Amino acid sequence: MTNIHKFAHISDCHLGAHRNPVLRKLESTAFEKTMNKCVDEKVDFIIISGDLFHSNIPNMAVVNEAVKKMKEVRDEGIRIYLIYGSHDYSPNETSIVDILDSTGLFSRIVKGRVDDGKLKLEFTVDPETKARLVGMSGRKIGMEQKYFEILDRESLEKEEGFKIFVFHSAVTEFKPDFLARMTSIPISYFPKEFDYYAGGHVHRRIEEKWKGFERVVYPGPIFAGYPQDLEQSAKGEKRGFYMVSFEDVIKRVEFVEIPTCEYSFLEYDASNKNSTQAQEELQQKIQELNVANKVVLLRIRGELSGGKTSDINFSQMRKTLVENGALHVNINRFGLASKEYTSLKVMGEDVREIESKLLKESIGAVKVSNQNLKGEKGSKLALELLDALRQAQKPNETKKNYGERMVNQAIQVLELNEAFK
Amino acid sequence: MSEIEVVGQVVGGKAAKILIREKSGEKIELGDLLVVKEKDGLLILQVYDLGYGSQVPQTTRELLAGLKLEGYGAGLTFLEPHLRNYVMAEVKAVARIEGKKIRIPKTLPSFFSSIRHVTKEDLAFLTKPSQPIYLGKVRSGSKTLDVPIHLNGMDVLKHHIVVPATTGRGKSNLVKVMLWSILGQEKFGILVLDPHDEYYGRHQKGLKDHQKAKGNLLYYSSNPPAGANTLVINLKSIKPGHFQGIVMFTNAQRDAIKRYNNLFRDKWIECIVHGKEVENVAPSTIGVLQRKFDNVLGVYEDTSGELQCRSRIFSDTAGSTTTKDIANALEEGKMVVVDTSRLLGQAELLIGSIVVSSIFSRYQRAKSEGKLEKKPVVSVVIEEAPRVLGKEVLESAGDNIYSTVAREGRKFKVGLIAITQLTSLIPRPVLANMNTKIILGNEMALERHAIIDSAAQDLSDDDRTIASLDIGEAIVSSNFTRFAVPIRIPLFEDYIKTNSNEGEREKPVFLG
Repeated sequence: MTNIHKFAHISDCHLGAHRNPVLRKLESTAFEKTMNKCVDEKVDFIIISGDLFHSNIPNMAVVNEAVKKMKEVRDEGIRIYLIYGSHDYSPNETSIVDILDSTGLFSRIVKGRVDDGKLKLEFTVDPETKARLVGMSGRKIGMEQKYFEILDRESLEKEEGFKIFVFHSAVTEFKPDFLARMTSIPISYFPKEFDYYAGGHVHRRIEEKWKGFERVVYPGPIFAGYPQDLEQSAKGEKRGFYMVSFEDVIKRVEFVEIPTCEYSFLEYDASNKNSTQAQEELQQKIQELNVANKVVLLRIRGELSGGKTSDINFSQMRKTLVENGALHVNINRFGLASKEYTSLKVMGEDVREIESKLLKESIGAVKVSNQNLKGEKGSKLALELLDALRQAQKPNETKKNYGERMVNQAIQVLELNEAFK
Repeated sequence: MSEIEVVGQVVGGKAAKILIREKSGEKIELGDLLVVKEKDGLLILQVYDLGYGSQVPQTTRELLAGLKLEGYGAGLTFLEPHLRNYVMAEVKAVARIEGKKIRIPKTLPSFFSSIRHVTKEDLAFLTKPSQPIYLGKVRSGSKTLDVPIHLNGMDVLKHHIVVPATTGRGKSNLVKVMLWSILGQEKFGILVLDPHDEYYGRHQKGLKDHQKAKGNLLYYSSNPPAGANTLVINLKSIKPGHFQGIVMFTNAQRDAIKRYNNLFRDKWIECIVHGKEVENVAPSTIGVLQRKFDNVLGVYEDTSGELQCRSRIFSDTAGSTTTKDIANALEEGKMVVVDTSRLLGQAELLIGSIVVSSIFSRYQRAKSEGKLEKKPVVSVVIEEAPRVLGKEVLESAGDNIYSTVAREGRKFKVGLIAITQLTSLIPRPVLANMNTKIILGNEMALERHAIIDSAAQDLSDDDRTIASLDIGEAIVSSNFTRFAVPIRIPLFEDYIKTNSNEGEREKPVFLG
């Protein structure tokens, strides 16, 4: 009689994505809870299908916490298999994933070689369960497609045993509507007849069954890599991971929810209201919200009939929400515009020309008393300031030095040397 | 003109029927392009009929034939037969060339003018436009001249093209040649609804072999080869309007659809298939709609209450972005081939309706926002066009998105390439809107007349010429050509030899 084995399928942890201490703590808590659940459930192994970290070299404190937790898991005899995601891979620099892989904390399962124009991937066999895993890492903007194009699918399909294909790409056929513009890989590029396709990269829970592809699964992030993820969570999207029981075939696939915090979401349409009305209404709605110990997300959109978007005091709203006990407040106002600043259509040969024209067109709407900030002079000054501030950080330049250099350049452009002496 | 070049001489006739006596030993063919050199340039003539001429009375000719046939005079012949018996060609003047100017001829050539065959140099005015669609080479009778014929895609695609011919005359070959020539130009978004799965080249040479196919050609099939996309449309992408003119509904069914759509928005089909009850909608109406959706879409509820699709073309979970992906590709000037060979007719037309409606409404919006100028022209290749453009269909089921495009598409840079065997089924106003006709051989007089009646040039004398067009021979009649140009279309497989994707491949390094 064969034993029932278990594995956990986790994805898109994006550790280190948040600078805000509250969100960072929640991110860390989600990871800790996930790992604890894996230990409690006595899984045989864990699959992380990409983007364990938010960048190739994340904050070392974040790495330290994650390593400690994964070490505990390893000490319980649970193997961790992982692939690069689009965030924690760098084509030029070493990734933290490589370093941790070399320590034996986890195994990166993307192994292969290009032979006679074909990419031949090698299986990693889990020593206890004999499950056979093969992985295809993610790359930025879907660059992994060139590997899929030359993938020797036939040899992978021929392999016997319980097989898992781990990948970090959107599958064209299963992309959610809101990710229509996301680069994706057609399912026809995938090897067929694997028992389980462990996907990552798409921040939405997806379970699909397709001819030749019995189980294509995306757990989505365990917490949030982006503000949109928080918004989706607030709208009811459950976050967590998959627990899969198998013998020689899959017996059970179960989503394990990892609740990290409570959310409060408010969407407000400011269309046909002036800035004062919008401010008042918003302030009232905010007061009515129960935000205690919740992550609060506000989405403000629409076109104000009068006043400027900057007339609305978002800082005050944030302050009110925090005073009312909100854990964290995120205000999304990218969709908010004002009729007084209607969109401009300008054409130009290059970015600089377009910027220059835009600034000239827009400067009239800015009400300032300083003559140097008005008209032709003002737009020229704004352009110079843009040029000064768009300079990138130099190699070996510390963040602090870079910041100071930027501030000094801005002071020089604005001729404020005297004021900052 | 040297004596050797002369093939005949003008001997009479009138404007649309100039009579030419053929020189003995020369062969003038139906469809031949001939040239008369004039003081200010050239006059190009085209042969549309041939007949015998003789100085000997008919009764004498018949007697002579009888004597020979009955064995009374094996050696009997006419005195100087080449002077007495000859061939007469009926020709029409199609263009007057004065330097680089092409004019419609309004005068007759001089009486007794010498006639010669057209040469490559005579047709130097046929230049290649900036966004060319290749059709083939100029044909004079059955002879091919080394003069390529291109149409300006920007003009002809938005004003629709119709390709009429009986089966086996090379319609698909022509369209493949055209599409090959524009693939990768990025100026045209082409949607090919391919009911025979013959354009992409899954099992033979096809558009996939173009050197710019990668990145510019998308292929959707219910059974895709590696790298191609699965043709799967999410039911949420389907709006009631997509069925307009494709599937017939009674008033009660239409009302029910409207109600479900209002209540359940993009889940309206799923709710009908699952039999979700709605006030004021009779269960029998829902039952009929369920059967219709089963027939057309192949969707039904299984015994466990799950929604299933027999063809797997429609899904309640997958394919959420398929319509957007296709519309985006077209808007980026790419070519999209949709293999509908495994679909029943209505499902195929419905998929076309969903995609065409999507791109058409985008372009309408772009026009209202002043952004249409920068968009590529989009053209939809539709086989057996009378299925959606036929008089009977339009009268019984009303307008559909294809007929809307045929009528209004040019304002929004959306056109059709309609392929048909039965031109006569398409109403004249629709045909008249199709400003380019690439006419291949057709034995059916009714069909020829429908084509001739709606051609951009006067082809009233070309009935016989069209009937005699061989495989690969065609006449291009377009508002964008000054005369109806006879062409020879190359065999696709030969044409692509010069331009296929067989270069050295990039050798990727696997970084893990």
